[in-house]
Amino acid sequence: MDPIRKDEFDSEACGSKAPKSKPCPRPKPGEAAGGCSFDGAQITLLPIMDAAHLVHGPIACAGNSWESRGTLSSGPSLSQYGFATDLNDSDIIFGGEKKLKESIDYIAGRFAPPAIFVYSTCVTALIGEDMDAVCKEAGDRLGIPVIPVNSPGFVGSKNLGNRLAGDALLQYVIGTGEPEPELPPGVNLIGEYNIAGEMWDIEKLMNSAGIAVTSRITGDARYKEITWAHRAKVNMVVCSRALLGLAKEMESRYGIPYFEGSFYGAKETTYSLRQMAYLMNDRDMERRVDRLTEREESRLTQDLRPYRKILKGKRAVLYTGGVKSWSVISALKELGVQVVGVGTNKSTEDDVRRIADRVGDDTEYIPEGGATRILKTVRERKADIMIAGGRNMYVAMKEQIPFIDINQERHKAYAGYEGLLRLAKELTYSLANPIWKLASSPAPWDKEVPYDR
Amino acid sequence: MTVNRRNKPASVNPIKIGQSLGAVLALQGCYRAMPLIHGSQGCSAFPKALLTRHFREPIAVQTSALQEMDVIFDANRNLEEALNIVLSKHRPDIIGIIGTELTDVAGVDYATMLKSYKRERNMRGGLAFSVVLPDFRGSIESGFSATVEAMIDEMIQQVGHRGSRTVNTRQITLLPGSFLTPADVMELKEMISAFGFEVIAVPDISTSLSGHLLTGFSPLTRGGVPLDSMLQSLQSGLTIAVGASMERPARRLHNALGTPYKVFNGAMGLKATDEMLHFLHQISGEPVPLRYCWQRENLLDSMLDAHFQFAGMSVVSALEPDHLYSISAWLEELGVEQKALIASYETPVVAGMEREVWIGDMDDAEVLGGGADLWISNSHGIAGAQRIGAAFMPAGFPVWNELGAYMSVSVGYRGAMEWSNKAGNLLMQREAKHRESSVRHR
Ligand code: SF4
Repeated sequence: MDPIRKDEFDSEACGSKAPKSKPCPRPKPGEAAGGCSFDGAQITLLPIMDAAHLVHGPIACAGNSWESRGTLSSGPSLSQYGFATDLNDSDIIFGGEKKLKESIDYIAGRFAPPAIFVYSTCVTALIGEDMDAVCKEAGDRLGIPVIPVNSPGFVGSKNLGNRLAGDALLQYVIGTGEPEPELPPGVNLIGEYNIAGEMWDIEKLMNSAGIAVTSRITGDARYKEITWAHRAKVNMVVCSRALLGLAKEMESRYGIPYFEGSFYGAKETTYSLRQMAYLMNDRDMERRVDRLTEREESRLTQDLRPYRKILKGKRAVLYTGGVKSWSVISALKELGVQVVGVGTNKSTEDDVRRIADRVGDDTEYIPEGGATRILKTVRERKADIMIAGGRNMYVAMKEQIPFIDINQERHKAYAGYEGLLRLAKELTYSLANPIWKLASSPAPWDKEVPYDR
Repeated sequence: MTVNRRNKPASVNPIKIGQSLGAVLALQGCYRAMPLIHGSQGCSAFPKALLTRHFREPIAVQTSALQEMDVIFDANRNLEEALNIVLSKHRPDIIGIIGTELTDVAGVDYATMLKSYKRERNMRGGLAFSVVLPDFRGSIESGFSATVEAMIDEMIQQVGHRGSRTVNTRQITLLPGSFLTPADVMELKEMISAFGFEVIAVPDISTSLSGHLLTGFSPLTRGGVPLDSMLQSLQSGLTIAVGASMERPARRLHNALGTPYKVFNGAMGLKATDEMLHFLHQISGEPVPLRYCWQRENLLDSMLDAHFQFAGMSVVSALEPDHLYSISAWLEELGVEQKALIASYETPVVAGMEREVWIGDMDDAEVLGGGADLWISNSHGIAGAQRIGAAFMPAGFPVWNELGAYMSVSVGYRGAMEWSNKAGNLLMQREAKHRESSVRHR
């Protein structure tokens, strides 16, 4: 394995503008939460739906993680297969390269995927397997790309894994293919993974404005479309710090301008669509976007009215991977929900600045994970609802706090105008559910009211 | 009879789950416990997420958060740091240090480190132990039983010097296998105590992962068997192990303390329940309580009602070894054809089964079970079942496509009835769908 150039990656993974002196904090033993870099690499690459994703290592890395995300496919499902070399004792002692090679051959022979991604894990990295060489040899022999993803869990955080996966795309995929000639010039969506089908809502909007998608990186993607990503006119980085480096590199290599944006909330959505059209340098497109966004926004205002009435003044604590925080805050603000506490553990200074722009002064920043810390904020700030990832869902349930899932495993799409309406509905349903009253009222025999004959 | 493997290099859609997850599960059944995985943070984040998804409960677990350089230089420094934080912040009664493949391959000796840590800090009163669980061996089942064994070992050592032991013949230690749901453990406890025994389950997920709202959130486990009860269990007059994998911890108690034990390999279906109740009746001298006689009648009647549904049907099951054994015995009683039995890894109990067993994955289930009407496995099997057109019945771990799976009872007469009805209903619905699609329109 190539040595991972840690310092460089770390600061980039947290956002390029983070000062060199403050790299990603090292996870604290006994207090750490969150996934490993291998997890992060998978998050970025698994949405390439027609590719095979082979995990090279003992069973746990794959066995405990396959089928754990809500990224949806409109067709091929090979990426939902869990492939693992499933190394045993003797493979560890004598080396797993032979098994890896055979596994690649087997998958190629049986499933005929357009490409195979091979992930290293802690143990295969530790024992020094030469994955790159095996992949190269197999790829040459089989005539399909076999792409090594060197992101073993112990190199760092999930964020770093996202970034390393982006590097693999740059090194092995982007620029290796050409689009069909009839494909109009368009936009790459980077860092949008089609959780709960959000990509589809976004694409519908883009289509209505006549903006083409060149490559999806990587929500509901096909391998081929990523090979021609270098032909796009614009890159949009969808609230993803970790893949910013990818966009930057594409700018310097291929001269593609990029911008960072989000689809959470009407304002952000409008801004993102406008930005696309502007950078495409197409007057007609800009006018179409203006018409579309005006129409959508006014319809949304109508649709939101009943929910806004209920949500106005409600207080929420938001705890999600730093990058998304600021955009979700915008969405909540538009609904009249006040964010009284926000997680910043994975945020860069840039993110925090964006958060600060959007929330008032008395919002509490929650710098590090841990359910206890989040709950404390909920209590002290008298929040009505907690918005966080699935891992904290049942923490909230134990404390009988209304909850909305905002991360990977969720089943609701919140992007775009439609998504904002959906979010409003979900918030309302959650807050209004009869369970909160029922759960907090005691059994009749615990009330100590004398029996009235 | 025979154990087979399909010849393929890669695992395709694994059933297997890392051993360390089994350890985390076992510790959830102990009160105020904290499992501490000695490895990189992904090795604790994945199990935590998966267990949360299955049980729909917060899961207590921490990590030593090893990074590349820590592994190479001094992994135990991280462990020490983690122990310091966990002990000072949460004051757990029980800490289980779970070694992973990473610490194993790197040759980290955390057992010795833990010993000196305990000595230096004069740690008494709690229970701190370590267990080696690399993921290139076994699966959730072996991780679970090895952890219980290590825990028992530590208990024996701790009370070992306190002189001779008084035996309480009215007290039974129950060692429930990893495949049992919280509701199953509850049912077993009730069955045993119905004969006048005190039961201490080690571990006891029935009071920790069964979904109580009482105590609010805590980073430690809430519910489960408390440490003093666990220590008290060493005085039991008998150990009952459910699942062959739990024989080793039972044997440990026997070797150290002379406690006799009885292992029930299976716990599902009429015969397995008969056997268990008969045994309890014999050792207690108490009559079998009326409610079980009733339940037996109910079960037989429901099996009669359902047998039309099962006639000519075939099943493919892909499960952990003990669970496979248990479910296969129950399927036998339903009179269905068992098209293929797939276990996650090989153990003596599956090797000794009368039917042919395959060691493999969901893909093997798909290939060998082609044409089956019913598919029994964890939720990873949904797609495969769909592809071969079988009705899908969730069982084992993880199950995420059904609410309350963790509260479903499979043991005892009640469990057999519930499962027979569930399986029958699934087949009935599938048939109805087929009928609908074959209706001709004129
Ligand atoms: S930390 Fe390493 S061994 Fe653990 S799951 Fe991640 S890649 Fe696998």
